[in-house]
Amino acid sequence: MKRFSQLAVPYIVWSVIMLLLPMVLVVFYAFTDTGNAILSFQFTLRHFIRFFTDPDFLLVLWRSLKIAFKTTVVCVILGYPVAYFIANSSDRMRNMLVLAITLPTWINMLVRTYAWIGLLSKGGLFSMIFGLFGFKDVEILYTETAVLIGMVYNFLPFMILQINTSLSKMDHSLLEAASDLGADGVQSFLKVTLPLSLPGVISGISLVFLPAVSSFFIPKLLGGGQYFLIGNVIENQFITVGEWNFGSAISVIMAVIMMLSMYLVRTLELRNSGGVRES
Amino acid sequence: MEDKTLIRFRDIVMSFEDQLVLKKINLDIQENEFVTLLGPSGCGKTTLLRILGGFLEPTEGQVIFDGEDIAKLPPYKRELNTVFQKYALFPHMTVYDNIAFGLKIKKMSKDVIEQKVMKMMKLIGLEGYEGKNVTLLSGGQQQRVAIARALVNEPKVLLLDEPLGALDLKLRKEMQYELKRIQQEVGITFIYVTHDQEEALTMSDKIVVMKAGEIQQIGTPQQIYNEPVNRYVADFVGESNIIPGRMIDDYLVRFDDHDFKCVDFGFPRNAPVDVVLRPEDIDIVPVDEGQVNGTVDSVLFKGQQYEVIVETVPGTSVTVRMRVVKSNEVTSADGKEKISANDFFVDIEDVPSLDDKEVIARADAQAWDPSTDEYLSISNIQYEVKEEEGEYPVVFSTQGGTMIQKTIYVVNQPVVKNPKANEAVMAFNFFKTVDELQEAQTLDTDLKTWASAQAWKLSNEDESVDLYVDYDFDLENIREGASYPVTFATTGREFKIRTTDYVEEGAEVGLRFGPEDIHVMHKETNY
Repeated sequence: MKRFSQLAVPYIVWSVIMLLLPMVLVVFYAFTDTGNAILSFQFTLRHFIRFFTDPDFLLVLWRSLKIAFKTTVVCVILGYPVAYFIANSSDRMRNMLVLAITLPTWINMLVRTYAWIGLLSKGGLFSMIFGLFGFKDVEILYTETAVLIGMVYNFLPFMILQINTSLSKMDHSLLEAASDLGADGVQSFLKVTLPLSLPGVISGISLVFLPAVSSFFIPKLLGGGQYFLIGNVIENQFITVGEWNFGSAISVIMAVIMMLSMYLVRTLELRNSGGVRES
Repeated sequence: MEDKTLIRFRDIVMSFEDQLVLKKINLDIQENEFVTLLGPSGCGKTTLLRILGGFLEPTEGQVIFDGEDIAKLPPYKRELNTVFQKYALFPHMTVYDNIAFGLKIKKMSKDVIEQKVMKMMKLIGLEGYEGKNVTLLSGGQQQRVAIARALVNEPKVLLLDEPLGALDLKLRKEMQYELKRIQQEVGITFIYVTHDQEEALTMSDKIVVMKAGEIQQIGTPQQIYNEPVNRYVADFVGESNIIPGRMIDDYLVRFDDHDFKCVDFGFPRNAPVDVVLRPEDIDIVPVDEGQVNGTVDSVLFKGQQYEVIVETVPGTSVTVRMRVVKSNEVTSADGKEKISANDFFVDIEDVPSLDDKEVIARADAQAWDPSTDEYLSISNIQYEVKEEEGEYPVVFSTQGGTMIQKTIYVVNQPVVKNPKANEAVMAFNFFKTVDELQEAQTLDTDLKTWASAQAWKLSNEDESVDLYVDYDFDLENIREGASYPVTFATTGREFKIRTTDYVEEGAEVGLRFGPEDIHVMHKETNY
């Protein structure tokens, strides 16, 4: 076995270079500043202090978390019934539906988001539909709603697929057992199906919430610069302003916030299932 | 125990797509009975149970429970509970919550639930395990929890679908007693599905033997074991010697050319029957005291007893010679074709029915292209055989003109007849090359084909008898030009006997059994 494990060495080296090194660099940048003539770098907490003392940045952070939270909630509400339907279809139907859900992700996210600009703009499909009901000149584009729609659209498949996986894995005889013990359809769902599909919901949440918080091109395209999220701030710092150190610091802050939120969700899940984990 | 019918299956038919799984099942189940549905997999026993549980709706028929047709009622409205094959315990709940599931659904008060669950924990002997995660329990413990989860609802009937199938032998035995104890303690009807006849005999008040969607026999374990209605039941429940015979008269049956007194009556005179003799009902005695005599064929130590095989009627055998010949290939002048064939023997009687196809098959004639290994057809066969003993040439040739000449030996092959066993055996000498022998994939079957070996009943030529093959050549060391004996034989009549007394292999012994040990059954026509 030892000989085989040596085969992993190139892979580990590759991972270190490609994954670890950029992260180390980001952290390094976050805590340093371009120094004086003697030292080229010097340690500082300046960037963090700057971020947490500027109400504008904090507002953007709060707004990002809020929209990511909303996206996640909408994705769960829309995704669960769809996943439930898929999981209960026949094998053939299920494969077709999963394909249908996966299909859009084969096209570049950016392109699909551009398509939404057309749909949401003045004179687009949506304002036409609203027009039919007597609401004239509704423009959704460049509002928070537009950003929310774009995010839900982009991240919903991840939620559906995750929940579908955990529902499809479930042993059907458990539902027979529940029915046998007197539970009707609704009770079976609430007491057996739902708790057993929670792990899928949780991983769905991680797959939606994390990219939603830091997404920058959806708010850029559909929010039209008026709806600025933390992802845009970071992008600006790196590309427009050229403040790599400050940009890195915000990235580190975001990383810590995400880790904390995932930890929170997992402990919540554990408490809900009475400390019993699926083995 | 009063006999009150609790469940009636009336003309239950179940079909999945085109497949008929249950064919008009009629069955009554009384209160407080331990009923076992017994049969091999695919006999419909689990389907019947699932219909009762409400997980399947029968295609036709009624399920009457306590005087009410419940065939269309969903499971959660039925007053019965199920122990599933793989337990189906809820993995996200503790032992306590699993057992309390049904009670919580019924919205019982917390203290009543606790009281009932604790009573169950005591019944199944798992006190102190309430807070455990069910997925961490052993198979036997999970099994008990599944039983408790069902019983805590105080159902009138408990359905058990092969619940012990996943447990090891020792645990299974323990659980058999445990289940019987629990059933007697709670005093409700258990309906138990299994393919294990021993399990069925140990636990049941009533056994229902099923086969291919039909009930074969319903009875107590004693009735099923001692008075099986047909060969199928006798074979499935316990071990048995099943011997074809004839009913000479009431209380008199004839098999293997002997008449035996028996306790069975009511058969038509001379009716063909099957006779069952259980291995433990036969005694081994000295030859002069035996009703039937024979030779001890094998003795097998089985723990509590020996299993002895006694051959009372020797098998019938014929030995032929296999001649190993040199390569039988002919290559065409241009080397593009090869052809091969063997000499073969034919019985005089079979000469008239000999045609081209038969000759090619018997001679195993083949032609092929050596460069591609593709088969070529043999386009021309020339032979002339008369209905008298002698050697006749046969020529096989291909389109390309490559030919090979072989010999057909017409012989008057004697048939080996064994009137005592009512059997006849015949086989022919044959020729083979070393390559053909070494390439044989199923040598025993191939030897039978090559020698045209067959055995049949003297009383009915169309009824064939199984043959086994015996030879002592070693395929690795076969020599060209040599000839080897090959024997084809039938097994004759063998009795399996269970006894605690040791007998020597090869000894001559007598067998004794009383009239009450003989059980006569109608011959099953569709077996």
